[in-house]
Amino acid sequence: MSESTSQSVTEPKKGGHGAPAVPHGAEGDHAGHGHGHAEGQAHLAHHFDTYQQQFDAGKLGIWLFLLTEVLFFSGLFCAYTIYRGMHPEIFVYAHYYLNTQMGAINTCVLLISSLTAAWAVRNAQLAQRGLLMLNIVITIACACTFMVVKYFEYAHKFNDGLLPGPNFHPTEQVWELESFKHKHPEAAEYAEHLAKVAEERSKQKTPAAGVAAPAEPSAFERPTEEQIEPLIKAGVIGPQAENQAAISRPRNAHVFFSIYFCMTGLHGIHVVGGIIVWLWLLKRAAKNEFGPKYFGPIDYAALYWHLVDLIWIYLFPLLYLIH
Amino acid sequence: MANDDKPDTSAEPLQPKSQQGPSEEIPPDSKHDATAPKPALEPTEQDEGDEDDSEAVSEISSPKAGHGDDPVAHAPPGALGVEPAAAAHGDHGLAHTMPIWMLVAVLGALMLLTVLTVSVTNYDLGSEGNLVVGMVIATIKAALVVTFFMHLLWDKKFHLILFLTAVLFVVLFLSMSITDRGEYQTNIDRYQNTVAAPAAK
Repeated sequence: MSESTSQSVTEPKKGGHGAPAVPHGAEGDHAGHGHGHAEGQAHLAHHFDTYQQQFDAGKLGIWLFLLTEVLFFSGLFCAYTIYRGMHPEIFVYAHYYLNTQMGAINTCVLLISSLTAAWAVRNAQLAQRGLLMLNIVITIACACTFMVVKYFEYAHKFNDGLLPGPNFHPTEQVWELESFKHKHPEAAEYAEHLAKVAEERSKQKTPAAGVAAPAEPSAFERPTEEQIEPLIKAGVIGPQAENQAAISRPRNAHVFFSIYFCMTGLHGIHVVGGIIVWLWLLKRAAKNEFGPKYFGPIDYAALYWHLVDLIWIYLFPLLYLIH
Repeated sequence: MANDDKPDTSAEPLQPKSQQGPSEEIPPDSKHDATAPKPALEPTEQDEGDEDDSEAVSEISSPKAGHGDDPVAHAPPGALGVEPAAAAHGDHGLAHTMPIWMLVAVLGALMLLTVLTVSVTNYDLGSEGNLVVGMVIATIKAALVVTFFMHLLWDKKFHLILFLTAVLFVVLFLSMSITDRGEYQTNIDRYQNTVAAPAAK
């Protein structure tokens, strides 16, 4: 660019007289659109000797950036690991509130966008402008789909009071959730029974303190493993027999949602950043800027995009598929 | 594609190359042979064929980087017909190009593994078992993405080392933290068995 502009400046001077504006304008146009012989060096920054050097430098740069990203996210993964190690019941409890289907859809959407991003690199290398633009558009569309699904998930959680910290007030108990009932129908029934008994007991306490607890219905007198096990694992009732009449949610369950929102939120920010980068590259691809010698930006953006995908590959089973 | 590229990279080096090509027993039109582009490239400037792909190309293409834009103009016509075979081991000047079938195959494998990891939650493999299976599947998926989509398989080995360094430090970070946390397990157990009856609301 700088070369051609200096040419366009010097040319009128050589010509000396006449209409300097015309060649100047023409030259400017020429360089801007990048055809003709000027194109050979159009995207080679002046501080690089060759396209290969420019490409390699950029590639090293993006890999170093990805390195920091991996370490950046690892802090959150560490928080997750430690908290899950200490309180597995909270994770079992909270995962019933997550929609596995939506998570799976998002996984597939991101994987498809990863394919189109990798394909876009190939298109850029082969100077296939139309296909390149198409693949970038599909990548952006998938990224937007991901964010829309995320929006619905988040909205659902806000609505149900599944917020981190002191704002955690779930509107539904875990045993009332469809996901829980579907997986452990007997346990859900038993939990409902326990909750009813507890409610009655608290009602009776106020009028007459010394009244004995009502006899439990025979069906629940000796709860089976099927009925108890899922509840203990979710921390809803205590592991000891004397604690099993009381039913509640595990302590500090809200911490799961702190971790959940931090991890998926940070990942979501990366997706939004990726969308912006892809939009910018779409604009540049439309100008036909990319070809066999200059496809670095597409390659780097794709590498970044694959890393975002990579992080989701781990987030999905860790958050949604807890057993 | 390298076959397509070479003859018209520039007018000047065209002559020696097209003469050398047939003498190396590789007819220029043997595009079905995926390895054909390599020998056609290397005898001109380099003797060892088993070097790293990207290294070899970097040495070859850098001196010619300034030469014209013929590959740009030439690539699209050959793009649909010839490439998949030739591009499997072909290079486009600066870096490796992924063939389409490989990209689609990797996506298929990733999708299959996603289905697998979701369906495996229906089976009880013990509390640790499901986590381990989930993480193993996730790691296989991650390896597929890194190897093929991020083309580390063909990239400079230095980038692989960089990435593995990051992974190594993450592993160190997590394993140290897990080991440290294990030290407190007895305290947690005591707390849960006595103080923290989950009834507290």
